[in-house]
Amino acid sequence: MTTENFTGAPPLVDPHQSMGEGLVALQKRNRFIQGIKVTAVWAGLIALVTGGMLMLRISPAYMLAHYNVILQGAGTTLYVSLVSIASATMLALLGSISRLSSNPIAQGIAGFYVSLVRGTPLLIQIYLIYLGLPQIGEQITQLGFPAIGKIFILDAVPAGILALSLNYGAYMTEIFRAGLQSIGYGQREAAIALGMTPLQVMRRIILPQAIRIIIPDVGNQFIAMQKDSALVSVMGVWEITYIANRYARRDSKYMEMFLVAAAAYWILTILSSWLQGWLEKRMAQAYER
Amino acid sequence: MNAEPIIQVSGLHKWFGMLHVLSDITIEVQPREVVCIIGRSGSGKSTLLRCINFLEEPSAGKIMVDKLVVEAGKKGRANRKLIHEIRLKTGMVFQEFNLFPHMSVLDNVIEGPVTVKRMERAKAVEIGMMNLDRVGLLVKKDEFPNRLSGGQKQRVAIARALAMEPKVMLFDEPTSALDPELIGEVLNVMKKLAQEGTTMLVVTHEMGFAREVADRVVVMAEGEVIEQAEPASVFNSPRDPRTQALIERYRSGGAK
Ligand SMILES: Nc1ncnc2c1ncn2[C@@H]1O[C@H](COP(=O)(O)OP(=O)(O)OP(=O)(O)O)[C@@H](O)[C@H]1O
Ligand SMILES: [Mg+2]
Repeated sequence: MTTENFTGAPPLVDPHQSMGEGLVALQKRNRFIQGIKVTAVWAGLIALVTGGMLMLRISPAYMLAHYNVILQGAGTTLYVSLVSIASATMLALLGSISRLSSNPIAQGIAGFYVSLVRGTPLLIQIYLIYLGLPQIGEQITQLGFPAIGKIFILDAVPAGILALSLNYGAYMTEIFRAGLQSIGYGQREAAIALGMTPLQVMRRIILPQAIRIIIPDVGNQFIAMQKDSALVSVMGVWEITYIANRYARRDSKYMEMFLVAAAAYWILTILSSWLQGWLEKRMAQAYER
Repeated sequence: MNAEPIIQVSGLHKWFGMLHVLSDITIEVQPREVVCIIGRSGSGKSTLLRCINFLEEPSAGKIMVDKLVVEAGKKGRANRKLIHEIRLKTGMVFQEFNLFPHMSVLDNVIEGPVTVKRMERAKAVEIGMMNLDRVGLLVKKDEFPNRLSGGQKQRVAIARALAMEPKVMLFDEPTSALDPELIGEVLNVMKKLAQEGTTMLVVTHEMGFAREVADRVVVMAEGEVIEQAEPASVFNSPRDPRTQALIERYRSGGAK
């Protein structure tokens, strides 16, 4: 029993003692100074790259004149990513519960879906949905069902959203499955013993706990998706990459436009990381209070 | 004593694959009776308890709880409904507490009434507070489980089970996961419940509790009930040599 005191980290500092307080303050100052140094290095790197660009006749004036069209594209990128991550989350929820269910049909369909999507490139999936599906639609129309055939002919934006949702839904199915499985079996048993139905156990006990574990991963997936959404530019969706490409070709300003595009993605992902950190902090508080 | 039993287990068998864990178990619990099950680790005590509320599926035999009878091997909607109703009539307390960490203490206690019984929240809160008071933890109602000691967690778990107003309480080694200094507070709560007339079936290694509180002690070994009688007789003049050995081990201070 007494050995328990030695299992954790040794209590080096008692923060209530003045000496401890001094130590904490010192640590805080050290961390602050370290932060300033790192920021300086970043600033130096950015200055270096900028200097190099200027020497190599990259035109900052052109970049400044065109950042606003990229900003419009960023709106589309964000919109496509937000809608896709939301539907991917729904798919993943459905997929993970199916994979864990005892129903062989649900299990089979979910397993097939995950395997198929994870085993093929996203770009091929985009082509299949945007260029392949209309072919099927035409066949069905010719068979005399134009109403059904029309469903298969998607505009670029819905096609992009569908492709991203399906793709991320599959990867996130595995993340959700791990999250659901991480909730101890005792939780399920306690709920069953209270008389809960499987649906109630999932909704009231397992999901609320699993979501706290899953949220950081969904954030990571959202950040990755913002970058992967560049692939939907192949369908002519007016998002960041497509717009950058278009202007770059027209004016032969490749470096300029793609640098602005890169900056736009970078800023988007940094903002998303902040949002994610803030969300996680709030979630963590709920367990304590 | 010979009123209608509240629990009647007859001819119960349980196999885990090839492992014959319970062999022809027949026991009864009368209303307001406190029955303690003792036995060595692995003798099948938990499995027996878990068969009564169908956390484990019995392989053969019959389970009766408050006039509801379920026969092993039956499937179908009607059977599932019976099992559901039996679960409503039994409250279960686990060795590992299994409180819901994402809910406050009070929310843990009212979760059953609100979600399962569809009780109005205000009414459930009233019942929840009353039962938290019974286990002496009303002051902790807004706390989250991770802020409680092990003993307090287990008392909340008892309140959570009581809030469903079950006909019988099942305890599976409720103090085995506790530090020695926290065991007393949980046993005291259980003793109080027993005095209030709660029907209890308790798997335990706490021989002092069994001797003092139980009306009857059931001794299990290798998946069978080898002896059952009132505590004085089991502890003072055990008949089966395996019971003697078990009690001897506790006398000499060894747990399990
Ligand atoms: N889910 C399971 N699958 C396979 N075997 C199991 C399972 N649960 C229990 N057993 C086995 O059944 C036997 C009885 O287990 P049980 O948990 O009922 O014993 P117990 O008397 O409660 O022991 P303890 O005092 O250690 O809790 C053991 O041999 C155990 O290994
Ligand atoms: Mg056990």
